[in-house]
Amino acid sequence: MSGRKKSLLKVIILGDSSVGKTSLMNQYVNKRFSNQYKATIGADFCTKEVVVNDRVVTMQIWDTAGQERFQSLGVAFYRGADCCVLVYDVTAPNSFKNLDSWRDEFLIQASPRDPEHFPFVVLGNKVDLDNRQVSTRRAQQWCQSKNDIPYYETSAKEGINVEMAFQVIAKNALELEAEAEVINDFPDQITLGSQNNRPGNPDNCQC
Amino acid sequence: MWIQPKELLLPSAFWIAEMHSRYFVLQKRRGHGESRGFGSMLVGTYDSVMNTKPAPYRILHQTPSSEVSYEIAIGITQDEIVKDWEWLQANLFKVLDEMENEDEVTNFTICKIQSLYTQNNQDDSGESADFKVMKSKFRQIFKMPEEERLVNSYSATYVKNKIPRQGQLYISLNHVCFYSYMLGQEIKRIIRFAELEDISRNANTIYLKTTNNMTYNFTMLFNASEAHQLIEQLNKMAIQQLIHDPDSPVVDHDTSNFARLGAKTSKKPVLLRDLTARQKSEEFRIYFRLPQSEIIDGKIKANIWTPYSKRFNSGFIYLSPNFFCFRSDVKDLVSVVIPMKTIKSVEKKDDGQQRFENQIVIITSENVPFMFAHIVDRDVLISKITDLLARIHVPVSRERAKYDISWSKQTALMNTFKTQFSSEIIQKQEEKMVRWEAHFRDFGRGIGMFRTTDVINLIVEGIPDKLRQEIWLIFSGAIHDKEMNPGLYEDLVEKAACIKNCFAHDEIDRDLPRSLPEHPAFQSTDGIGALRRVLQAYALRNPQVGYCQAMNIVSSVFLLFCDEENAFWMLASLCENLLPDYYKDKVVGAQIDQGVLNELVQTHLADLHGHLEQLDVIKMISISWFLTIFMSVISYESSLHILDCFFYEGAKIIFMISLQIIEWNREKLLQCQDDGEAMLVLQNYLEGIYNPEYQVPPTTDKRKQERKVQTQTVQTLIHEAYTKFGEEITQQRIEELRNKHRRLTMRQFDIDNEKTIVKAYVQNSYFTRSELHMLLTIIREEKHALKSLQQQQQKAPCPLSEVPQLVPQSPGRANHDASASGSRHEAYSVNYEVFHTLFTELTPWRKCVSVDIGEKLFRLTDKRGTGSLDFGQLINALGLVCSNKNMEKLKLLFVLHLPPLLSKAEIERSRRPRPRTKDDAEEAFEAEDFFDNDASESMEALPSPSDHNFDADDFALISATQHLHNLAGISGNTFMDLSRTPNLSLNSNTSSLAQRSSTFYVDLPALQGTAPSTDAGRDEDELQRELRQQGRYESIDTFSDISDLGAARMTPPGTGAGADAAAGAASAAAADHMLLNVETISNFSQISDLVAATRLERADSNATDLRSLGSLGYLLDQPDEGASSSQHSIPHMRKENFQLLWRSIIEIMGLVQDEEMQRAYENLLELGNSNIKKEPSLESFTQLNMGGDEQPDSNGNPTTPAAEPIGTTRLFVALEEELRQASGKARTTTTSSGDSSSSSTNISESWHISISQFIATVLTVNSIVRGFQTPIQISEQIEQLQKKRRKCLSTNY
Repeated sequence: MSGRKKSLLKVIILGDSSVGKTSLMNQYVNKRFSNQYKATIGADFCTKEVVVNDRVVTMQIWDTAGQERFQSLGVAFYRGADCCVLVYDVTAPNSFKNLDSWRDEFLIQASPRDPEHFPFVVLGNKVDLDNRQVSTRRAQQWCQSKNDIPYYETSAKEGINVEMAFQVIAKNALELEAEAEVINDFPDQITLGSQNNRPGNPDNCQC
Repeated sequence: MWIQPKELLLPSAFWIAEMHSRYFVLQKRRGHGESRGFGSMLVGTYDSVMNTKPAPYRILHQTPSSEVSYEIAIGITQDEIVKDWEWLQANLFKVLDEMENEDEVTNFTICKIQSLYTQNNQDDSGESADFKVMKSKFRQIFKMPEEERLVNSYSATYVKNKIPRQGQLYISLNHVCFYSYMLGQEIKRIIRFAELEDISRNANTIYLKTTNNMTYNFTMLFNASEAHQLIEQLNKMAIQQLIHDPDSPVVDHDTSNFARLGAKTSKKPVLLRDLTARQKSEEFRIYFRLPQSEIIDGKIKANIWTPYSKRFNSGFIYLSPNFFCFRSDVKDLVSVVIPMKTIKSVEKKDDGQQRFENQIVIITSENVPFMFAHIVDRDVLISKITDLLARIHVPVSRERAKYDISWSKQTALMNTFKTQFSSEIIQKQEEKMVRWEAHFRDFGRGIGMFRTTDVINLIVEGIPDKLRQEIWLIFSGAIHDKEMNPGLYEDLVEKAACIKNCFAHDEIDRDLPRSLPEHPAFQSTDGIGALRRVLQAYALRNPQVGYCQAMNIVSSVFLLFCDEENAFWMLASLCENLLPDYYKDKVVGAQIDQGVLNELVQTHLADLHGHLEQLDVIKMISISWFLTIFMSVISYESSLHILDCFFYEGAKIIFMISLQIIEWNREKLLQCQDDGEAMLVLQNYLEGIYNPEYQVPPTTDKRKQERKVQTQTVQTLIHEAYTKFGEEITQQRIEELRNKHRRLTMRQFDIDNEKTIVKAYVQNSYFTRSELHMLLTIIREEKHALKSLQQQQQKAPCPLSEVPQLVPQSPGRANHDASASGSRHEAYSVNYEVFHTLFTELTPWRKCVSVDIGEKLFRLTDKRGTGSLDFGQLINALGLVCSNKNMEKLKLLFVLHLPPLLSKAEIERSRRPRPRTKDDAEEAFEAEDFFDNDASESMEALPSPSDHNFDADDFALISATQHLHNLAGISGNTFMDLSRTPNLSLNSNTSSLAQRSSTFYVDLPALQGTAPSTDAGRDEDELQRELRQQGRYESIDTFSDISDLGAARMTPPGTGAGADAAAGAASAAAADHMLLNVETISNFSQISDLVAATRLERADSNATDLRSLGSLGYLLDQPDEGASSSQHSIPHMRKENFQLLWRSIIEIMGLVQDEEMQRAYENLLELGNSNIKKEPSLESFTQLNMGGDEQPDSNGNPTTPAAEPIGTTRLFVALEEELRQASGKARTTTTSSGDSSSSSTNISESWHISISQFIATVLTVNSIVRGFQTPIQISEQIEQLQKKRRKCLSTNY
C-alpha cells in the first residue's frame, strides 16, 4: 500500500462504552442525532467524501464497541488506520481516565510505523450536558503530555465542533500519509522511540 | 494381588525365580529392574511389541509331579508380592505340607485363592488386574503423579524418521503418552492435551500436532477410532477447562456422575466408560435441549406409535433422571421429550393382536398416551422407569412470599405496547394461528408434543406472536430450567437489587436505553425496568459472564414476547446451552464460531473464500451476527423469524443464514477492493431485509425508512438458507469444527499475548525477539505442567446454578487497565516454583549445589515480596546469569552469598548436611511459645523460598526487639510484621504495607506537620529534613528508622552529599525510596539494602566500582525502582559466606580448582584478615558494628547488628540485652555446643572482605574470568528443556 496515493482515509473511533462514538459518527456523516442507537456490537461503519487541501478523499469511519471484552477483536479493525479518534464523556471521569489504556492498546495492536507521531485526536463529548466533571484544563494537559494531541470538545447532540474536529482528523491523517510517502523513499525500518513499551502502567496519567 | 488362578504350561520362560517353596514359586519378569542382559532386552522388546503387559512379579503354584502350574498372584512391586508370599507362608505352607495327595493340594490351593480373589475384589473400583498393571506402569514410566488418571492404553506404532517403533499409547486425563522399548532403546513421549493444535485421523493413523510445532503420528491396528475420539474429547475438555478457569487448566473427572451407564460393557476401563458416557450424555442433552445436569442413563431400541400418521416408527428410547425421550432412526422424523414428573402411569399392553409385540403405554398427567412397541428389553425398561420415578425430585413450586413489593413481574411487553398492525397482517396472523391449532390437535401441545418436520415447516414461516413465548420456551429448553428452579428468579432479582456500586450494574444501566430503542416498550419505564432486572439477575447467576453487550439486545426482544421470568430463563439457556461461551471474556465462544464460519465458507463458497480472506472481512462483519442472532444488523421484525428457527435448530441456523447472506452477495463481494467496501455491501443488504408479514407502521423509525432499499424478504432468506445449506450443515459437524477452532482460537490468543509482551520487552539488554518468544513459550508450558501437578487434587468447580453470587468486581472502570493489559502480562508472571525450575534447567548456575542460588536470586529479584516475578524481572534475572558480563555476574554471585539471602543457618546446614535434629525442633518450639499469638501460625504457613531462613534464631531476635519496642512504648503489633516473609501474597502484603506505613509514621507528626498519607507527594528536601530530624530526635522505632538515622548521620546537613547526589532524581524517586524502606521492615531479607543505604558513597569504594554496582542494582531491579537502587552499595562479606561463595564458584565452573584459584582464595583470606586490623576510625560505623554487636553464639542473626549505627543508644543496649537473654534461654535447653564455638566464631565475625576486593582478586584468575565470560544461548537451553519434557527425561517433572 505504500506507494499508492491514497484517496481513502481510515479513521477509528475508540472510547468507553456509551461516550457517544456512534452518535458522533452519525452526526458527522448524516448530520443527524438520534437517541435511538443500539449499543454497537463488534463494529459499525460509515463512509463520507471530504475535501481536504483541495483533494477529494473518502473517509472510512470505523465505530467500535466500547465494552472491554470486545477489545481483543480490535486488531482486525485497527489495521491500516490513518487516524485514531479517542472519545470520552465529559460527564464521566472514568471514561477520561481510560483514554490512556485505549491509546496504549491502539498503539500496541495497530503497531503504526511511527507511534510517536501517529495522529490521534481527542474528543470530549456531551458538552451540552450540565453535569460536567472533567475540566477542559485537565483534558488539555493530558493531551499536551501525549505529544500535543489536538483536543476538541464536542456535542454530537447539538452538532458542536463535530464538523471541525473531523476536518482536523482528515487533515492530520493526510499529513501522516504525506510523511509516510517521504519516509518510504528510504529503506524500511525507521522506528523512533518506543511509546508502546509501557503496558500495564495505568499510573502515568498525569491528572 | 490375588488373581483368578490360571493354568500355565511354560512356567519359566522369560521369568526368573526369586523364591521357592515346595508348592510355590515367586517369579520376576526378565527385563525388569537392574538386569540389562541380552535376554532381558529381548523380553522387554517382546513385551513391548506383543503388547503383553504382565506384571513384573507373580506367584505360581506348582506340584512336583504335574506339568501344569497355576498363576495365583501378581505384583507390581516386590513389596506387594512379598506380602502375598508371606501370607502363603503363614497360612498355607503348613496345611499343604500335611496333605498327601497332590491333587488335593492343588484343589485346596485354587479354592482358597479363588475365595481370596473374590473377597478382595468386592470393594474394588471395578478395574481389572490388567488395568491396574497398566496404570502402575504408566505412572512409573512417565513419572506421573498419583492423581493423573489413566483412561486407557492402546497398542500403537510411532513412526519417527521412517523408523516404526512398536509400543504402547497411554491416554490419561491430561496427557497422551507413548512408550516403546525396542532392543535396548527406550522411547518416551509426553504430550499434554492442552497443547495440541491439530488432531486428525486417517484410517488407522492418528496425527497430532502440538503448539510448538512438533508432529506425531501413531498407527494403530485396533481401536484407532476409539483412541481418536478419546483424544478429541479429552482435548476438548482441556481447552474448555482453559476457557472456564485459566488458572487451573487441569481436567479432573468426577466419576460418580457417570457410573450408571454401560455396566454391561465391563470389558473397558471404568474411566473410559465414564468418558464415553459423558460424551453420549452431551449429545443427548444438546439434541433434546435438556438441562446441563441431565445425564443419560441408558437407551433402548423401540418403536413409537405416532397417531397422526397411524404407524410405528423405529428409534431409541433414551432415559435420564428427569426425562424420557425418544428419537427416530430417520433423522428429524419424530422425537419426543416427556418429563418424568409428568408420567402418570406406565403399563404393559399384552392384549389383542399386539400380544407379542412387547408394548408399553405411557400416560402423562395430561392424559396423553404414548405407545411404544418392540421394546428390546421391556422389563428392564419398566423397572428402570419405576426406579427413576421413585427417585425423582420435584422441586417444591412454592409460591414464595414477596419480600419486596417495589417490583412485580412484567408480562410480555407486546401486550402492553400493542403495535397497530394493518388488517392484512392481522389476518395473516390469524391464519397462522389456525394452522398451529390444527397442528396441536394432531401432534399434541406442550413439552410432550411430537416433534416432526411438520413443526419445522410451521416455524420457518414464523410463529404467531401469541404463541412465541410457548414455543420458544419449549424448544430452547428454558422451560426445564425454569421448572427445576422455581423462585430462583425472584431471589436473584432481589439480591441483585441490594448490590451497590457494581461495575456490571453500571454497564447494564448505560445500555438499557440502547437495547431496542425503536420499540415503544423500551421508551417506557416498564420495559426498561424489566430489562434491568433480567440482566442484573443474570449477572448475579453467572458471574463468569456477568454482563456482555448484546445480551441487552437479545433480552429486550425476549421481553417483548415473554414474561420477565421466562425471558430470564431464555437468556440463561442462550448463554449456557445454545451459544456456549459466547458472552464470556473476549467473547471467546463467538470468536470460535467465526473460525467455524470461515471454514464453512471455505468448503461451501470456495471461490469467495480466498477473496474474503484477503480482505480479512469475515471476522469483522460476523461478530454481531453471532452475538445478537442478527438482531443488531437487521430490523428486529425480520430477525424474529430467524430467532424462531434458532430456538428449534440451535446455532446451526446462524451459520446457514450467514452463508446464505454471503452467497447472495457473491458478485458484489468479489468486486470489493477493501474491507470497508465489503462491509458496506453487506450492511446495505442487511438493512434492506424486510418482513412483509410484520410491517411496523413507518412512523416509528424515520431514519431507516429513508435509507432503506428493500433487498429481500426474511422468509426468502431463511428458505434459501435451508435449501442450500440445511442438509450439509449439521449440529454434529458444527461440534466437530468447534472443537478444532476452539483449539486454534485459544492458541491465537496465546500468540497475540506473546506478541504484545515481546513488543513491550524487546528492548531489553539480554535477549533477542525470538529468544523472548521462546522464553514465553517455556514459561507457559512450565506453568501448565506445574499446575497439573498442583491442582489435580482440587475438585472441579461447582455447577454454576449453585452459586448465584457475583464475583466482587473491583470497583469502577479502574480495573480496565489491570484486567485488559494486566492480565495479559500476569499470565506470564512466574512464581517461585516455576522460576526455580527455569533457573535450574536453563542457566549455567544450576551446577551449584551447595547453595540454592535459584532461591536467593528469586528473593533478590522479587523486591516487592509478591511471591512472583513479572516477565521483566525474569528477563533481568535470567538474562544476567546467562550473559557474558563476567564482572556483573561475579558481583551478583557475591550479593547472593550475603546475609540475609544466605543465612547463617544455611551455612551451618551446608557444612554438615543433616536433617533437623531434635534439639533444633525443640528450640524452634520454644521460640514459638515465646510469643503465643498468630505470628507463629503465619510462620507455619510460610511459603517455600524463605521459610528455612526464619528459624529459631530469628524468633529470638524478633521477640527481643518486640520487647525493645514495648520498652520504647510502641505497640508491639507493628513489629509482628517482621515475622512475615517477603513471600506474602500480594493482597496481604499491600494491606499490611499500608498498615505498616501508618504505624511507622506514628510518632512523626510530633516532629513535623507532614501527615503520613502524604508521603508519596513529599519532595526530596522534605525527605532529607525529615531524616535529619529523626536522627536528632534519637527515637528509634524500627529497624528502618535505624537505618534512616544512619543515613542522616552519614550525610551532614550542609553538604548532603550522599542521598542528594546519588538520588539526584525527581521526587518520585525519593518517595519510592521511602516506600522501599517501609517495605524493608517486613522484608527482612532486604535489610542488606538498608545497610547499603547507610553506607552511601563510602571512602573505600572507588568511582568505577560504584558505577557498576549501580548498573548491577539496576539490572536486577524493577525498572521503576532503578533510580532508588543506585543508592545502594553492597556490604562486606564474612568468612563463612565467603567460603561458601568460593565453593559455589568452583561448582559453577565445574572443575577442580587450579593453582591460580587456590592462590586467589588464599589471598582473599589474607585480605580479610588484614581488614580486621584496619577496621577502626576511617571505616564506617556499620562495619565497626558488624563485629562488635554480634552475639557470642551462633544463634544470632547476622543482619541485626549490621544495621546498627555507631552511637549505640540506650535502647540498643537494651536490645542487646534482650537478644542475649533470648538466645541464652535457647542455649540452656540445647547442648553446650554454642559456648565452645563462640570463641571461634567471634574471630571469624570480624573477618570480612569487600566486594571490590573480591572482584579485583577474582578477576586476576584467568580460569574464572573465562568461565564467567562464556554466554549461554538461552534458546538452546530452552529447546533442550522442551525436548526433555517431551521425552520425559527430567526427574524434575
